[in-house]
Formats: sequence, C-alpha cells, structure tokens
Amino acid sequence: MIEFRSVTYGFDDVSVLEDLSLTIENGEFVVLVGPNGSGKTTLLRHCNGLLTPDSGTVLVDGTRVEADLIAARSTVGMVFQHPRDQFVAATVGADVAFGPENLGLDRPEIDSRVTAALEAVNMADREDDRIETLSGGEQARVAIAGALAMKPSYLVLDEPFTGLDTPARRSVRSRLESLSDRGTGVLLATHDLREIRDLADRVIGMQDGQIIIDEPPEQALDDCAELAIL
Amino acid sequence: MLTYVPDDTLAHRLDPRSKLAVQLGFAAAALTHTGPRAILVLSALAIGMLAAAGVSPIRAVIAARYALVILSLAPLLAALTLGPPWIETDAGLTTALASYRVLLVLLVSTAAVRSTRVRDSRAAIQRTIPGRPGHLLGIGVALLFRFLPVLRADIQTIRDAMAARLGAQRHAHERAGTIALLGLSRAFDRADRLSLALRARCFAWNPTLPPLSFSRLDIPALLLATTLLCSTLLTTIPL
Amino acid sequence: METDQREVELVGDAAVHRFARAALLAALLGAVAPVAIPLPFSPAPITLQVLFVFLAGLVLGPVWSAFSMVLYLIAGAVGVPVFAGFNAGLGVLFGQSGGYLWSYPFAAALIGLFVHRGTDVRDPANVSLPVVVTALVAATTLIYGMGSAYMSLILELNAWEAVTAGALPFIPGEIVKIAAAIAIVRSGRLSPTRVR
Repeated sequence: MIEFRSVTYGFDDVSVLEDLSLTIENGEFVVLVGPNGSGKTTLLRHCNGLLTPDSGTVLVDGTRVEADLIAARSTVGMVFQHPRDQFVAATVGADVAFGPENLGLDRPEIDSRVTAALEAVNMADREDDRIETLSGGEQARVAIAGALAMKPSYLVLDEPFTGLDTPARRSVRSRLESLSDRGTGVLLATHDLREIRDLADRVIGMQDGQIIIDEPPEQALDDCAELAIL
Repeated sequence: MLTYVPDDTLAHRLDPRSKLAVQLGFAAAALTHTGPRAILVLSALAIGMLAAAGVSPIRAVIAARYALVILSLAPLLAALTLGPPWIETDAGLTTALASYRVLLVLLVSTAAVRSTRVRDSRAAIQRTIPGRPGHLLGIGVALLFRFLPVLRADIQTIRDAMAARLGAQRHAHERAGTIALLGLSRAFDRADRLSLALRARCFAWNPTLPPLSFSRLDIPALLLATTLLCSTLLTTIPL
Repeated sequence: METDQREVELVGDAAVHRFARAALLAALLGAVAPVAIPLPFSPAPITLQVLFVFLAGLVLGPVWSAFSMVLYLIAGAVGVPVFAGFNAGLGVLFGQSGGYLWSYPFAAALIGLFVHRGTDVRDPANVSLPVVVTALVAATTLIYGMGSAYMSLILELNAWEAVTAGALPFIPGEIVKIAAAIAIVRSGRLSPTRVR
C-alpha cells in the first residue's frame, strides 16, 4: 500500500503539491492524468523518496519512505521518460543486473532475477544485445525490466509512451497488462488516457498540485474532458 | 577503430588484471631498454602478444595510424639542425628507434583492447583500486561506454544544425563555443535524468561485483609481467 | 527484504548527481575527440578536447573535474574508444601523446582551484575576468608543458624540438579555445545548478 498523508511540497516559493492525500492498494492499476505542471511527476517521485515532502508523510507498506529508502526503492520500481538516459551499462543483461547488484544479492540470485525480468518484458535471450542497437520500444521494455529485477510490488511509470511509435506503445502496454494480471501494482502518469483506460482500475486527475478527480475509468474520460485536463 | 571482438583466443581467456600487468611491464621495458638486442626481443614479444589475441600486426598498425604521423616526423625533426652539418644522423636514428619502441607499446595495447570486455575491465578496476574511488571509477567506465555513442550522436546533431544555419561562416571561437555549450547542456540534461535513475535503482557503495577470477593460464602472464618489470628495475637502478 | 547479511549503503543524492555529471562530461570528451574545426593560417585544426578540460574545471570544481578526467583516462586505457582517432588502450597513455593526457586531471583541478577557491562550486560568471584568464592560461601552459616534456623524454628529442612538434603549431588554436571558454563563462550559462 502506498499512502500519501497531507503531503505538501514546493520549490522556488511555488507550491507543487498542496495538502495531498491518496491511498493506492496492492495490485491496483492507477492512471494519473493532468496538464503539464499539474504535479504528476512530483507526486510520483515521492513514492520512492526521490523527493521528500515539506510537510506530511508518504508511507510504503506502512513504513515512512525516508525511514527506509532501500525498502521503498526496491518495493516501488520506477521508470522515467527517456529510457535512453536510464541505462548504466552498454548491454541489456549488465544493465538489468544493476539494481539487484546494489541490493547485495548473490550472483545466482541476480542471474535468475535478470532472466525472469527479461522474460516478463518479452526480451528473453537478449541479454548480450547492445542497448544502443535496440528500438525505442525495446529500450522502454528493458528499462521496465531493470525495475522488475528488484522485485517491486509496484511499478511507477512517468509517461512511458512519450516518443514511442504505435507498435512500441502496444508492446509496452501489453507488458504492463500482463504484469498487472500477475499482481504487480501499476501507477502510471500519461497524457493519453484513451490509450490505457481499459487497463485501469482507477483514474486520478490532477490540477495545480491537487487531486480533482478520483474515480473508475468509465466516468473519467468524460469528466477529464469537461475539466479540460486532458 | 579497434575494439573488443568476442573470440576464444589465449588473450581472451586471461584475467583483465593479468593483461594490465603485462602491458605495464611491456611499456616499462620498452621505454627503458634502448639497445638493439632489447628491441629484437621486444618486437618478438609484441608479435607474440598480437598473435595471442588474434590480431594481425598490419591491422594493429592501421589502428595506431593516428600516432604514425608524429612518430615518423619526430626522427626527421631530431635529425635536422640549424647550421652545418644540417643533418645529424645519430640523433635521427636514436629518435627513430624511440618511435619504433613507442609503436610497439601501442600495438601491444591493441591486443589487450581487442581481447577484453569493458564489463570485465570494470570488475578489474573495482577489485584493484580500493574503496569508494575504485567503485565510482568502475561504474563510471561502464557509463562512459554506454553514453559515448549517445553523446556522439548529440554532437553530430549540433554540428548538422550549425551547418544548416551557415555556421561555417562564423568565427572559429564562436563555433567551438557553441558546440561546447550545447554539447555540455545536453550532456548535463542526460546526467540529471541518469542520476534519478541511479537513485531509483539503489545505487550503492557496496554492491555485488561482477564475477572475475584468475585461472591457471594467468600464472605465465603474471610471470612475464614480473620479469619485464624486474628487467626495467635492473637497468634503472645502478647495482 | 532479502539483502543477505550485508547492509546496503546508498550513495548520497548529491554525490550521485555530481558523479553522473562528471561521468557524462568525461564521455563528452571522448565524443568530441573526432571533431576538428579548421583554422585559417594554422597547420593544426582546433580539437575541442582541451575546451572540455577547461569546462570541467569551470563547472565541476577541482575535485569532480579531476575525477572526471581520471575516469576519461582509465576508460580509454581499458578499451573505450575515447582518445583521438577513436583510439583506446593503455599504450596510448605511454605513447608520444601521453603527456598531454596525463596533464588533463591536473589542468582541470588547477582551473577548479583558481576559479572556485576551494571545493565549494560557485558560478564562474561571478569570478573576476583576470582570475579566469589566468586560470585558463596556466592550465594551457601545464597541458603543453607536460605534453612536450613527455614527448621529448619518450622520443629522445631536445627541448626545442619537442616544443616545435608538440606546442607551437597549437598556439593559435589554444588562443581560440581560451576565447571560447571566456565567452561561455561571461554568458552566465554555466551556473553549477543549471547549464543552459
């Protein structure tokens, strides 16, 4: 469970999150929408302690994020925009191994996690491929595998479809669907609700650092259009 | 450009640390032993090492072509004198032999480059350089290898854009400054995103290191490295 | 958490950020190695590497700029093709141009120390122009001094011959790079938090 309790955050005297409270249950598929500058990215980065609230608390599975960053960061896997800038090694396998290596796991465990994570994103047997030779969609999937190798309960994605062509979007989408089916919680920020609506359990709309919509996806599309936050 | 090529040569099977030691020993020996016999022995060793890595000597020389300009001009420069006798053959010959020994050092390192994966070098660095600096240098080498093609493409894009806007007509310092500033700002944008990803993936001081271990094959290589280093000490320290 | 017996020790946020920038600046030094801008009336075209050694000192400060340069040298030594002409290998560090390469960490640190007066990084635009110029000229002198000295040692040339081959042809290009670096500093776009 990820819990925001009255979280306020700002920089340069501008408040980005305003007294925000939110609970995401295990296994939920939540889509976060809102215009640029509405605070989506800021909200996501609180889930694993990349940002710390000015006031209020963020809890992951009942523990304050800052109290155990390692637990928060391995429980909440995070994938950013621009997958190209998130890789630390030149080959697929070496990159996916980075997270588990940091957790200090032994080599057989690391190897089996790398294999499993790559299978989960349909990139099995591609361990020795060079990242630079992969398509945009494949890079996005390897970035997801990098997060999965830490065995997270939640996957948080910040606009994972940006810059991808249609087949690549489709391949990332279908991987998210199968991960969600297997019980991984997904929290995903996007500009295009239509693309992902049918996978979502719940849609959250943000504006000016506050949650203004929180409802099932069936109603969300109309409401979002009405409030002009799409 | 000569880079790592997957293969199963003797050199490929050696531990990167052994190859490092041999290269250091060879460089030290080549730069201190100047006699004709030493040059013969060094040449034979260099050819042997290239063969052990499956590199043809001609390809290795081509890979070192950038250095050849200075290495071949230097003897001429050393031989020329202002005033009679205008040409000093001895000085020219000494420098020519020195150039040749430098070339041997370059050739031997191409054998190591061709036979060593960057990932193994990263592991070797983290095991050889102690503490936090060694850890950061190891990960840093992996990052450099990863981002080199990305940043090369950035620089190319910047140059293309400048050429399209008649950049060739501007002053050299403006062009250099523009490429540098745009290149740096793009690289730092990437670095800022990379550092978020590093943090999200628990970038730690004490990770599990990539596997690396010496085998029996490394014993002769390390002995060779030690012999070369000792031979250097014997000539430089008067006994 | 199944993290074995060991306690995971995270690298601090600020260190991660500086490390990532230092690593990408080192990669940039390798990425511009093939770029050459022709210069009228000079036999040697401008290569941009020394300009990035300057920028490293100016924007990363003495410690992380030296780290960045050492990283560049090590990466090249172990086979990442970052040296001039897409070259790599430990041999290059001991070859005829080794002296220039070895000087980079010292030159960058020297600029960092001059401009930032310590290890706290500040905006170089706020530093007086004579200080910046002195730092850049001193660093350039160090690079070409070490480069020529090593070349004379390794190729058994006398001092004058080494300077003729290793420094004189590059003076016009270096003046251009110092001018470019000063213009960049003056533009105020090199603040330690944001490069624009």
